[in-house]
Amino acid sequence: MVRRVLSLPSGRIAVGLLVLIALLAALGPVLAPQDPLATSDNTLASVSWSHWLGTDYLGRDTFSRLLDGSRVSVLASLEVALVALGVGAVPGILSVYLGRVFEWGTLRLADTLVALPFLLFAVAVTALLGNGLTQAMLVTGVLVSPLFYRVSRAATLAVARSQYVEAAIISGASVGWVVRRHVWAKVLPPIAIALAQTIGVGFIIVSSLTFLGIGVQPPAPTWGGLLASDLGYLDYQPWAPLAPAILIMLTVWASNLLADTIRDVSGEAGRAFVTHRRDVRSAHDASDQNATAHSGGAR
Amino acid sequence: MAVATLVTVARVRHGAVRTLVTVTKSVAIVVPVFLLATFVTFALRSLSGLSPAHIQLGEDATPEAVARVESQWGLDQPFLEQYWTWFTGVLHGDLGTSWVNGADVSTLIGLGLGVSLSIALLAMGIGIVAGFVLGTVAALRRTTWVDRAITGFVTIVSVMPAFVVGIVLVTIFAVGLGWFPSAGYVPLADGVSPWLSHILLPAVALSFDVVADVARQLRSGLIAAYRENYVSGALVRGLGARRIFFVHVLRNAMGPAVATLGLKFPSLVGASVVTEWIFGLQGFGRFANDSAQAGDVPAVQGVLVVSILMVVSFNLLVNLVLARVTPASQRGV
Repeated sequence: MVRRVLSLPSGRIAVGLLVLIALLAALGPVLAPQDPLATSDNTLASVSWSHWLGTDYLGRDTFSRLLDGSRVSVLASLEVALVALGVGAVPGILSVYLGRVFEWGTLRLADTLVALPFLLFAVAVTALLGNGLTQAMLVTGVLVSPLFYRVSRAATLAVARSQYVEAAIISGASVGWVVRRHVWAKVLPPIAIALAQTIGVGFIIVSSLTFLGIGVQPPAPTWGGLLASDLGYLDYQPWAPLAPAILIMLTVWASNLLADTIRDVSGEAGRAFVTHRRDVRSAHDASDQNATAHSGGAR
Repeated sequence: MAVATLVTVARVRHGAVRTLVTVTKSVAIVVPVFLLATFVTFALRSLSGLSPAHIQLGEDATPEAVARVESQWGLDQPFLEQYWTWFTGVLHGDLGTSWVNGADVSTLIGLGLGVSLSIALLAMGIGIVAGFVLGTVAALRRTTWVDRAITGFVTIVSVMPAFVVGIVLVTIFAVGLGWFPSAGYVPLADGVSPWLSHILLPAVALSFDVVADVARQLRSGLIAAYRENYVSGALVRGLGARRIFFVHVLRNAMGPAVATLGLKFPSLVGASVVTEWIFGLQGFGRFANDSAQAGDVPAVQGVLVVSILMVVSFNLLVNLVLARVTPASQRGV
């Protein structure tokens, strides 16, 4: 699966970008050249060698704040995705097996959660339950979990009612073997797609919440918070929102691209797609070599 | 003649029955959703541990004073009784009074709702028109550079969060060029053009998401519909390209695009929290944010109830349109 994703250029770009951003999150606070919280007299400075992205209204180095804030933003969006996965996928798979009452109840619950404007709820619930990013992400994770519920339920339904699973059981396959060989292969790709999408969605939500100042204490930097503080000084630094905005958009784009690539390569159609591409390319390479051989011969 | 009338009558009756079935089905889903959502909303107060006493008396009030204020607000009643009182109030359109200033929550929300609804509906309109045009052009010119350019544009647009777009628009059109006011709102009664100029930028910022989704769904829907046999059949019968597009292809292709609109509306309502902050509008989203940060529980509950109502009624509308446009959705296909 991973090899198939990496065999496509779009997969390589997406994984490369996400690895880069993960590295930023892991090493950013260490790499930051200056103290992200240290104020100075040099306020709203423009781009220079000592301040790569200038300074903000309190004279703090924007580049350092950007690096330092990456960890909070990335961890929070991962938390949204993992909470949604846990809350959504498990009932989704169980709803096929646990009988009609459970199925009906969870379906209605999923309907309810989907109907709620989740940013509004995230804002409301976080403000009422205490101002912490962890609470905010828990709530958001629960609110976006219907995606996982539906996806895993649909995949499980397709497997449970398929004839090849029936055939495998009749021919004496153990449940473990069926799960490893058939169920995983069907359920995992859609869940992986949903996970990649949710990381993108989670990133937008985290940025929006930190932009509003919900879930973080003021001096601590986040990408959304940087945007919010830049907004007050557009007259002096109209280019300032560019860097955090581009970082947010790149991350979201990379997550969506990864989701699309997994969708392209998963399943039998995906295997055929990848093989076809490889054949086309090797044929192309072969003709190239022929061409060079010919031109070499002519010379 | 008589037969023709009979057929018309039957068709009208059939249409009315279909609409009724759709409404009944939606209501059957809506009622439990509404009950559950309001209950969760109400339970928030108990979970939050917030009290009007702390807002009115400050943090170091005596326990007796706190108890007195709480009993004034009816908070010493059993939980289910409080819920019942509140819920019957909600059914009568009474959302309670704000803890912060004692004003009627319904009135406060009504003040901001005009702003937010104007923006959300305009954003929806821009999204539908632009998404429709882009999706159709991309599908009709598929695999050409036009299609690739539109698909690329749609991808870029889809990863731009509303608040990033909002900031960019304010920077360019309000601060840089000065074409639009950067903040504030003018009601429609004061004239169409000042009203429009105040809400156009936030609406455009919100619409990007809708544009991207409608364009993508419509493009893939149209391409799939053009491969169907009935299109070849219509061609063979000698129907014009325009008629095939509007009568056969479009009608079958727009189902998923219309269905996404139902899912997009909640996110438009939610995103108003951020866009209203950027554009300095005193709307519904701003009110939600302010009362949540102030710990004004009745106001937050009112906001959530109203948002659920808006989402639910919009979904009902979408289902009715779907039932009319694509008969297949009636059969649950």
